[in-house]
Amino acid sequence: MTTSTHYLQIQHLRKSFGSFTALDDISLEIKEGEFICFLGPSGCGKTTLLRAIAGLEQQEEGRIVQAGRDISTLPPQQRDFGIVFQSYALFPNLTVSENIAYGLANMKIPRREREQRVQSLLDQIHLPEIGDKFPGQLSGGQQQRVALARALATEPGLLLLDEPLSALDARVRLHLRNEICALQRKLGITTIMVTHDQDEALTMADRIVVMDHGRIAQIGTPEEIYRQPATEFVARFVGSMNLLPARVLSHNQLMLGRKEVQVPLMLPPCDEGTLGFRPESVQLHAAPWGLDRSEQLVFQAQLEQVHFMGAFVRLELGYDAELPQIHVDLPVEQLHSLNPAVGRALWLSVPAAALKFYPQEGQNRNPVSEAGHNGQMNLGVAAMQVAGA
Amino acid sequence: MSATLSLAAKRGFDTETWLQRLIVAAGVLFLLLALLVPLLTMLVKSLQNGAGEYIGLSNFIAYFSNPALTESILNSLNIAVWTTLIVVSTAFVFAYALTRSGMVGKKGFRLLTMLPLFAPSLLPALSMIYLFGNQGILKDWLPVDSIYGPVGIVMGLSFWAFPHALMILITAFSNSDARLYEAAKSMKTPSWRVFLTVTLPSVRYGLINTIFVIFTLTITDFGVAKVIGGQYNVLATDIYKQVVGQQNFQMGAVVSVILLLPALVSFIVERRVQRHQSSQLSARAVPLQPNKAPLRDALLTLFCTLVCGFLLLVVGMAIYASFITFWPYNMALSFNNYRFDMMDGGGWASYFNSLQMSAWAAVIGTAVVFLVAYMSEKIKPMPTARKLLQLLAMLPMAVPGIVLGLAYIFFFNQPNNPLNLMYGTMAILVLNTLVHFYTVCHLTAVTSLKQIDNEFEAVSASLKVPFYTTLRRVTLPLALPSVLDISVYLFVNAMTTVSAVVFLYSAETTLASVAVLHMDEAGDTAPAAAMAVLLMLTSLAAKTLHWLISHQILQRTQRWRQR
Repeated sequence: MTTSTHYLQIQHLRKSFGSFTALDDISLEIKEGEFICFLGPSGCGKTTLLRAIAGLEQQEEGRIVQAGRDISTLPPQQRDFGIVFQSYALFPNLTVSENIAYGLANMKIPRREREQRVQSLLDQIHLPEIGDKFPGQLSGGQQQRVALARALATEPGLLLLDEPLSALDARVRLHLRNEICALQRKLGITTIMVTHDQDEALTMADRIVVMDHGRIAQIGTPEEIYRQPATEFVARFVGSMNLLPARVLSHNQLMLGRKEVQVPLMLPPCDEGTLGFRPESVQLHAAPWGLDRSEQLVFQAQLEQVHFMGAFVRLELGYDAELPQIHVDLPVEQLHSLNPAVGRALWLSVPAAALKFYPQEGQNRNPVSEAGHNGQMNLGVAAMQVAGA
Repeated sequence: MSATLSLAAKRGFDTETWLQRLIVAAGVLFLLLALLVPLLTMLVKSLQNGAGEYIGLSNFIAYFSNPALTESILNSLNIAVWTTLIVVSTAFVFAYALTRSGMVGKKGFRLLTMLPLFAPSLLPALSMIYLFGNQGILKDWLPVDSIYGPVGIVMGLSFWAFPHALMILITAFSNSDARLYEAAKSMKTPSWRVFLTVTLPSVRYGLINTIFVIFTLTITDFGVAKVIGGQYNVLATDIYKQVVGQQNFQMGAVVSVILLLPALVSFIVERRVQRHQSSQLSARAVPLQPNKAPLRDALLTLFCTLVCGFLLLVVGMAIYASFITFWPYNMALSFNNYRFDMMDGGGWASYFNSLQMSAWAAVIGTAVVFLVAYMSEKIKPMPTARKLLQLLAMLPMAVPGIVLGLAYIFFFNQPNNPLNLMYGTMAILVLNTLVHFYTVCHLTAVTSLKQIDNEFEAVSASLKVPFYTTLRRVTLPLALPSVLDISVYLFVNAMTTVSAVVFLYSAETTLASVAVLHMDEAGDTAPAAAMAVLLMLTSLAAKTLHWLISHQILQRTQRWRQR
């Protein structure tokens, strides 16, 4: 571990609650000063992983090494971290200053220095005047900033944030997002934040760890996660994406619903899978002239609905009755130049680089369950697209 | 499993965790020694003969073949069923009036109904004697021949159990959701149907819960039946007669086991029901604002006035009788009955013993209860031991006082038990009282601890502040109101309880509540009433003090509660 430059190493972590597997062989490395987000739906194990790093949950197997020190079995008070919870967890009977100084009291720092430190922390969270107030007199956003100051007061090497913004209303959340990022960059403190909010993860993190069912689904920069979702799960969870169930006919032929299409991809040898592309990667054309099918996916679909979304327009197109609707996002001006009427057939093209194909896990399904699967898929796509919008 | 063990072994020595383990272990040991082991000892005794030899179920066979003894089972059930019926139906209407009607003077009614909580259960029984006894002032109103018997017991118990039923039902009625009533009204539902389809289902669990609590309270009561039962034997008085009258400890143990059964059954049912109750109300519910309905409100006011009138009559009669020089021949008022040193039962010394015992129970008890509740709620190590702790803490609710008292004799009076030293001292009285009333205190502490953010411990650990510092600086100040509640609850109950301590006092540690019993046995009914009144006044004084502290000192130290 001395040869490694990683600040935090997690190796083969496992944890279960009864029959429920919360963490399933998690391995992860985090560099010093990095801002990491654990992203995933509820129950995916992200909070358990954070609590294991803090020592608040004890893993059954695996090692955690922080700054070259094996902390796997240490109790939380012997580890080096500051933590902020969704519920703020400020002590309501202590003033803001007393809350921030809570961890300084037993560090044998002279009183004056302690007061200075509290004041400089209050300045850093841009609330210099509130030292004598009680937490109950502050707004949610102010309380969360005080909780942040308290966690930073003892100058820990690692900052853990457990859904710190989830309890706040939308505008405060946006503001605090920037403030946390700015503070983290300024202090250069290694930070791990747990969130289920993809926007938060995409805008704040240096790297995102997407988790699903106790496993890591993908690790990457926000751009990698968005552009190259490694699995169908990541594609569904981050951003909005058209996902069409497909049967594989040959290395570049797919059966989408009842229609055969040629795809500009090298398809893996399998029977079934899902074809995915983002709504904004689609181009619309009045006619298919000049489109190269070896570089783009080209197909025709009927315009069914147009939703005005503000900055862009979302079109819903029907391609095949057996498939979910296809969503296309267009800048408003482009729509005006095209000016399509509802009910009209349009040509769609998707560049090869924007296409993803996910082979289906566990083949050999009988037709009945396949139909059921498709039904669920439709619902899933609908839900995902609502979330994306 | 092996992985877990090896990890636990690798954990470095860590004083905090070890301290926590030590306290949890001490808590478990305390409840085992002060509750479970004495009860098991009693169970063993019921299977032994007088010489201490194992004789199987012979004692039980002897018990069930004696109709004079088994009759008490039916008598106890009879008393419990009637009292439950009367108390629950009265309390139901009363709680409805207090929470859902536009009646005026609700606060006053509520305060008056609290009165029986501060009186020893012997007080209503003594009042009944003065009201309906052979020389009672309202004797002619009594539809039956004699107040000494089931009618007296049921009336006395109804007085005493009423506030307990009312408290649970008021809570149940308070969990209302105005939106349901608005929905019903918008569909033009007649009010009787609203009552059946909205009101009744919402209090269903509270109602069932009340029935079982009152049934347990009344089937196990000792004081009322002892004073006014006459020839009508119930299980609790049988235990007393077997042990004190005939020195037949084995038979006492047998009756105790039999009395423990209905209490345990109703306790288990009650816990089940409780679990449903909590998940009833959604967080979005809008509380109902009671509206005015002149006819209904007038009828309910009349009803509440009658009920409170009865409560006041009972209390007032005891107070009045305690000042009568010699009932019914010399009706002049005097303090003669308060010269306790002239009577049986230990005199004024027993009153001061009671004060001392209650103070100890309040101080030590609150500390023990709070620490154990904190350990079972807020820390991580030893999950199995903490589960056991929670289970043991619930058990005292199901153990009748007289059974616990007898169990203490069996356990602490063994010559080869090192704890034998405690026998006959103030310490055993304090211990017994604490265990007897443990469950309610534990639940109060747990409820208030559950309202405190669970992450405080995690935050302190991350800030390297030991858990006891956070307990002192944060958790304890936050839970202070409930800590005060627990201490006053313990004080009042220690002052007024009879059943558990009646077997355990010694010549130096006579208690006032037991003195009431003995003075009444010796025919000194008026001094008994005087002592009962004195106990009630002391309890009321303690409660007033508690109220003053809560309102004055809390306001000053708990500035942060104001927004």
